[in-house]
Amino acid sequence: MEAATATPAPPGILHPQAVAFVGEARQIERRAGFMFGVTGITLVAAMGVLGLLMRFTQADDTGLSPAWFYRLMTLHGVGMITGVLLVMMGALWYVLHPVVPLRPGRMYASYTLVVGGAVAVLVATLVGGFGAGWTFLPPLPFFPVGQWPVWSESLFLVGNLLVGTGFFVYCLDVLEQTTTASGGLSRALGWQYLFGREPEAPAPQVIAATVVAIDGLLSMTAGSAIVLGLLGRTYDSGVGIDALVAKNLVYFFGHSIANLVIYLAAGAIYVMLPRYAGRPYEATKVFVAGWTASLVFIATAFSHHLYMDFVQPMWAQVGSLVASYFALLPVAVITIYSMTMLVWGSRYRWTLASTLFYVGLAGWAIGGVGAVIDSLIPINFRFHNTVWVVAHFHTYLMMTVVLWALAFVAHLLERETDRTSSPTLRSATIGLLLVGGYGLTGTWFVAGALGVPRRYAVQPAGTVDYSKVGAIFALLFALGFLACIVQLAPLARTAWARRHTTSTGESPGLAAGHAVAPAGADPRVDERPPGRAGAPLGTAAHLGFAVAFMVVAIVAFFPGIVDASETSTRYHHLDHAGQFLFGVVVGLLLGSFAAVSRLLGDHPAWGLTAVIVAPATMMLLMVPRVYEPLESNDVQHALFHLAMAAFGLVTGLGATRLTPLGGRFTAFLAVAMTLMFAAAMTGGAS
Amino acid sequence: MSLHYGTPQIVIGGVFVVLSVLLASAFVVIGLQAGTDVSVERVHRVGYWLRKRWLALLAAIGVVVVGLSLLDLPYASGGASGRTMVTVTAGQFFWTFAPDRVPVGTRVRFDLTSVDVNHGFVLYSPRGHLLGSVQAMPGYHNQLDLTMSQVGIYRIRCGEYCGLNHSTMDGSFTVTRR
Repeated sequence: MEAATATPAPPGILHPQAVAFVGEARQIERRAGFMFGVTGITLVAAMGVLGLLMRFTQADDTGLSPAWFYRLMTLHGVGMITGVLLVMMGALWYVLHPVVPLRPGRMYASYTLVVGGAVAVLVATLVGGFGAGWTFLPPLPFFPVGQWPVWSESLFLVGNLLVGTGFFVYCLDVLEQTTTASGGLSRALGWQYLFGREPEAPAPQVIAATVVAIDGLLSMTAGSAIVLGLLGRTYDSGVGIDALVAKNLVYFFGHSIANLVIYLAAGAIYVMLPRYAGRPYEATKVFVAGWTASLVFIATAFSHHLYMDFVQPMWAQVGSLVASYFALLPVAVITIYSMTMLVWGSRYRWTLASTLFYVGLAGWAIGGVGAVIDSLIPINFRFHNTVWVVAHFHTYLMMTVVLWALAFVAHLLERETDRTSSPTLRSATIGLLLVGGYGLTGTWFVAGALGVPRRYAVQPAGTVDYSKVGAIFALLFALGFLACIVQLAPLARTAWARRHTTSTGESPGLAAGHAVAPAGADPRVDERPPGRAGAPLGTAAHLGFAVAFMVVAIVAFFPGIVDASETSTRYHHLDHAGQFLFGVVVGLLLGSFAAVSRLLGDHPAWGLTAVIVAPATMMLLMVPRVYEPLESNDVQHALFHLAMAAFGLVTGLGATRLTPLGGRFTAFLAVAMTLMFAAAMTGGAS
Repeated sequence: MSLHYGTPQIVIGGVFVVLSVLLASAFVVIGLQAGTDVSVERVHRVGYWLRKRWLALLAAIGVVVVGLSLLDLPYASGGASGRTMVTVTAGQFFWTFAPDRVPVGTRVRFDLTSVDVNHGFVLYSPRGHLLGSVQAMPGYHNQLDLTMSQVGIYRIRCGEYCGLNHSTMDGSFTVTRR
């Protein structure tokens, strides 16, 4: 909930009663909102054109070759997810910054990385011809059947790595700042309130953002492990890939990032929709419990992509079945139902933004039903990888996330200008979006029930008519999207003209009383890196654990263990992970000493760079081409293993430059990444 | 081979349509009510009362459907005794079967693998009904148990994107009269 402010925003376009809890957005918040929102919407529009082209190709209307179809399909997938990710990152930043001092520097860094990644993928597909799908299911990138060169698969992987790293940077900043501002992880997640130890919960967007950040960091780590492994394979064909482990990691990354987009959006909707309903949204105990459940479900549901890989362990299949169904509960009960409670009898202010927010809720509900049906294993057996899947994820990505992306930009512009479009034009636009969108997904649902497989450039005999009808509906949706842009254009012109006349505003504190940004604060205050409160290993218990880990990890250097590990690539990589762990713990210990810490200085940006670059470099060196020639020389061999520990040391020291929780968590993630790498990558002589 | 709707797919599709129409109707009603003026206290009193029941209903449905799902898992279990082993090998862009035909009524255990990338074994009955699917993965063997109850040619399509000719990667498996 946004607290009342000293100089409330004029109600204008918003609900009159929203004046009680809505403050003016500050310059930096508006800048972030527009930067992420406009870039993301532009990307979404471009990728939508590709989608339209693909649907007409399936309807036999374009003459596009399968080679180009699959390039566009690959780009459409990565580009669309990146586009909506950008918008929702901006939306959450926009609503979170007033209550948590997120760092603009990190925001710019994550934006640059994600956009850079999107450009890399664009070049890899359109110029390089890469077309292994947005899931790049290993080992498909290395079986191009003459369709793409090595450089394009490398560039595509680098692009994914950049997008993932950008989101990692964003999530780490969110986690560090929500936990610091709230006074700890359990407070940021609302657990202190849930168990009655505190009278009030944090603001809803703080809880949502903390959950998204944790799951985002976990899944981006898995993504980095597999992408780095595959990058190694591009310059060393001796690298082998365990297809099952790799598939788990790819979907942990890919499914989660696509899924997290909607949870990012939910965090933003909790703040923005109430502004049109005139009722603030407040976190309750059910809300806190629901988001805690989502924390687990988001991280575990990805495995339903492997239902038809019968060799997947049964515990994973059953766990995913449970997680995939019960993930519905928090969404249906807390977000969707509670939002409709806000709207009911509220004298809701219907604008372009608020209408899109509302109809987007329906898309999540209907798409969710399609997804939950498919998440039941006996049903998935008959629907797996048919276009039913395409239908359900387009229902909630297109009819929820894309509509909310438009809604967010519309909300920014409506607030800047205190104007919206005419009711007639708005109704026609919403009509086009609804008829076009549900018509398109409807044709996929029907064709999916018929058994038409997905990702077919050429449709099975007798099923082309579904694509023809679908293409017409897709065109209607595109017209609706265009109509939205046309309505927003005059608002954008007005906003642009007024861009230098806006005020810097308020920064309401957290509802739980952990106010962090003073009211009326100068936005430049945010440019300062926050001080670190304590060291990652600051208690006797921490030190005890660290020493215990060090004692265990030092075994990785014993000659007998090293020799034994070289009988298998997996064990060899596991040994490297042990040496890396040793270095990480030493780094954490050293950096936690006050004298060393003073020497290193307060440089969180350098710390962040170290925890990302050091483990990544180490894994890029863990290819047979690099380490096999060294094994014949004892000194070089020993130095290579010491280098593994040195990478760990740099990582550990870097982690001490972050907040205590952020440092411990990133150190854990770095070690986890080396373990996932060891599990997925095989091949080579040892 | 032309595709036809199978009975399970028709039932599941029907359930989806009914639930979607109910949800869409609810959103229309709530949207129409949004313009009225109802006190927050009343909305909270009625809304939270209903929310508890909504949560209980969804949880109960979850327990039932997850429980029923666990009773009907497609995964092969137990030994292959009494079953005819059919080795299925996938590659860009072909299917091979050994043997490639069995008499009607044979209890088959399909043993699937791939020589290159991931493929999807999507099996259609001679009448064009999608019976089920399982992945063919390099380095692994996925096993599917099935009783071949119809005489004729069962078609296989690839269900996992595998490259340029993914959409034309077809195969067939014959079930003969006894």
